[in-house]
Amino acid sequence: MSIRLDQVTKRYQGAPVVNDVSLEVAEGEFFVLLGPSGSGKSTLLRAIAGLTGVDHGRIHLHGQDVTHVSARHRGVGLVFQNYALFKHMTVGENIEFALRVRRVKAAERLKRRRELLRLVALEGMDDRLPTQLSGGQQQRVAVARALAHKPQVLLLDEPFGALDAKIREELRRTIRQVQRELKITTVLVTHDQEEAFALADRIGVMNLGRLLETGRPDELYARPATRFVATFLGAANLLLAQQTPHGIRFGTTPVRAQPVDKVDSTREHEVVAVLRPEEVELAPSRDALQTNFIGNGIVEEIVFTGALERLRVRLAGSSEAQLVSTSADNQATNAVLEVTRTQHEQRAFPLSVQQGVAIGVRRIHVLPTPLSSYTACAATSEAAQRIVQHPFLTELAARMKTRITTRVEEGLAQSDPNKTAAERISGVAVIPAQGQTAQQAAWLFANGAGEVLILPAHTGLPQRVLIHWADDHARRSTLAVAASLLRNVPAEAIYLGIHPGAGDERRIAVRSLLDARTEAQAIHGLEMRTELHFGEAAEELRKQLSEGPEQMLILGISSIEQLQRDYASLFATPGNYSIMLVYRPSKESESTERTDTTRDAAQVSERAAAQL
Amino acid sequence: MSFRSPSILPGFGLTLGFATFFLSAIVLIPLAALVAKAGTMGWREFLEVLIDPRAVASYRLSFGASLLAATINAVFGFIIAWTLVRYDFPGRKLIDALIDMPFALPTAVSGIALTAVFAENGWLGQYLAPLGIKVAYTWVGIVVALTLIGLPFVVRSVQPALIEVQRDLEDAAETLGAGRFYVFRKIILPTVMPALLTGFAMALARAIGEYGSVIFIAGNLPMKTEITPLLIVIKLEQFDYTGAAALGFIMLVISFIMLLSINLLQTWGRRRLVAAGR
Repeated sequence: MSIRLDQVTKRYQGAPVVNDVSLEVAEGEFFVLLGPSGSGKSTLLRAIAGLTGVDHGRIHLHGQDVTHVSARHRGVGLVFQNYALFKHMTVGENIEFALRVRRVKAAERLKRRRELLRLVALEGMDDRLPTQLSGGQQQRVAVARALAHKPQVLLLDEPFGALDAKIREELRRTIRQVQRELKITTVLVTHDQEEAFALADRIGVMNLGRLLETGRPDELYARPATRFVATFLGAANLLLAQQTPHGIRFGTTPVRAQPVDKVDSTREHEVVAVLRPEEVELAPSRDALQTNFIGNGIVEEIVFTGALERLRVRLAGSSEAQLVSTSADNQATNAVLEVTRTQHEQRAFPLSVQQGVAIGVRRIHVLPTPLSSYTACAATSEAAQRIVQHPFLTELAARMKTRITTRVEEGLAQSDPNKTAAERISGVAVIPAQGQTAQQAAWLFANGAGEVLILPAHTGLPQRVLIHWADDHARRSTLAVAASLLRNVPAEAIYLGIHPGAGDERRIAVRSLLDARTEAQAIHGLEMRTELHFGEAAEELRKQLSEGPEQMLILGISSIEQLQRDYASLFATPGNYSIMLVYRPSKESESTERTDTTRDAAQVSERAAAQL
Repeated sequence: MSFRSPSILPGFGLTLGFATFFLSAIVLIPLAALVAKAGTMGWREFLEVLIDPRAVASYRLSFGASLLAATINAVFGFIIAWTLVRYDFPGRKLIDALIDMPFALPTAVSGIALTAVFAENGWLGQYLAPLGIKVAYTWVGIVVALTLIGLPFVVRSVQPALIEVQRDLEDAAETLGAGRFYVFRKIILPTVMPALLTGFAMALARAIGEYGSVIFIAGNLPMKTEITPLLIVIKLEQFDYTGAAALGFIMLVISFIMLLSINLLQTWGRRRLVAAGR
């Protein structure tokens, strides 16, 4: 490994700008760090260069721990967005700077300078001053200068930011060529996904200080794991669908979809599906569609962009599909689908504005996130409305680009076990924290909810998220929920392992802690710290939660009795912290429902996890 | 004489006229009068005034002390400007405002204040005296006074230039392997040099012409602590107008040569920085 980052964290005034990032970049690889501004990507690059210290974690370059080595001794080359050329020196002097520092002989310097100028196609420019060059040429000089001392790692911080489109493309090609020729490990930071696709062997997408996903460009585009990556890499429509043991359904229409091993297919629940604009088929009627019908719509806008035609199609109210959001628009209520069509498709079925169309999907991808949408649940509609307006919930839903619906259930008032919900609860059920919380949560779980979010009256998004599960059955789903949530909230994640006694159990406890961390990292891409405590679980959790403001607990359980028996004291007096309860019945209790096919699927996914 | 390029503001002729008039009325005509007055002397007479040992001693003191003071200002003014630009600390704004104080203070006041502080029984003088350092009434005192009045020139001209030195440049140099001192010598100093030279030149010019603050702290012993401007005033008091004019003329010539060479140095430096003929 050329570059290895191990749980690197950098804070500014307490808030993490780079949050627990672990990353490996192979020898000779071109790695692109992609993210919106403020995602921490540049800070991470500066940390690799040694210009910024880290608060936590380690940085290895070529197997050597350089966490505390200064920038001048790290032997990396860094290229800045604004070139950062020394204006009082000629091009030649700029390039030779690193060699002069190292007291390299003049003849050798000259040789190296010639070599580098040829490499960046600036032969004969030696005696020019940087101010006499164009922006593109200046950046070429900067690249040559960064390579002079033969660094083993080349770092580029938005190198094309200040250039116009044509020069940008030209320089992009040069950099790719140089990188190939020298086989130098390269990390480039950018916010431009097109640039990332054009250059990268592998892309890492960052948001809110976290490294969300890494992968080959085509893989990330076709099979993103998170909403953010799905909408940041290219355009995407996010739709809510139902996962059933038999496949994906929009309402009553089954849809072909790539099976995702991280999605729990044994249980019927709501999932988020990614529909790329180019995977949408439009036809005059349902019968004319060659693919799965998901609803009717009306064309609202047509924009001609040359090779492609961009359309916005409003879904009719009766459609089977429920649209959550598109990458162009964060409004969860928006029911406009983004569609692109090729020239060929345009000729086959010409369209005009206000025309009605049948919509089909060629291919959808299901996100492995367990948090699809939020459902505010209460006994009265006023109470439900109050929950919808809770700032915590509106902020979270906006960040997750999902919607909040309300559900009025009289059964909630007394948590009457005999009164069942009118319809299965889908998405994350949200209830306020009050005296009845534990009973209400139990009622919701009995009526199909998989996750319940409990909000006290006054709380903001958490700065610290504690994770705990009652037993190993709940581990995996709790980690999945935690990973999904923490992608959208810049908080520290801490897993609390709590064991009843000390003594011999200690060794087992530490092992299970490490296992949990490894699993979180490998399967869910979640970096978390671990703490070991001894004592009674509910008591210990309460103690930790009351330590500071703005905390959140993610608690996994595998039976409803556990909730009432072991954790009742957490709900007895509402604290100032929010709780996300994750409930997945243990395999034994639902064994009657399980069929052989689902067991096979489970084994396949276990094996896939082991390979990761 | 022609327009360099069409300008948004009209009135090139008018403004050039004003510029010429004011320069003439305020600078050139008085200087010409000075030269004319000095010209009324014969060559021998003129030379006698110039190479009078007392006069020669005063030149040495005036220009030597001014050069020394300007040099001290260049070093410490740079450090002060650096501190003000690069760091944020409580009271930074206050110190920034204090820098300009020597501009506003009547020079006689600063001269008296310095004398009081550095006299053998003054606040600071009493501690320096046992060490054998006498400040007030020696050339050291003159340098101190000239440093005080010249300081703002350096700080104010270096400050904007330092803001221009982007952190990225230093970061780039560091990743290329340069140590702190190397970065300072090869990156920061060359970038700031023109501004530093300007500040140095202004501080020097101001120090050469300074009269008010120096005469209080100098003690004014002929041959020892007598500056040329004082000598001119003494000649005036003796109604030796032509002698005063001759001394004034020679100061003018030396100052002009010094300032011109600094300017040339600067132009040469700037030509390296910004490409010529661009």
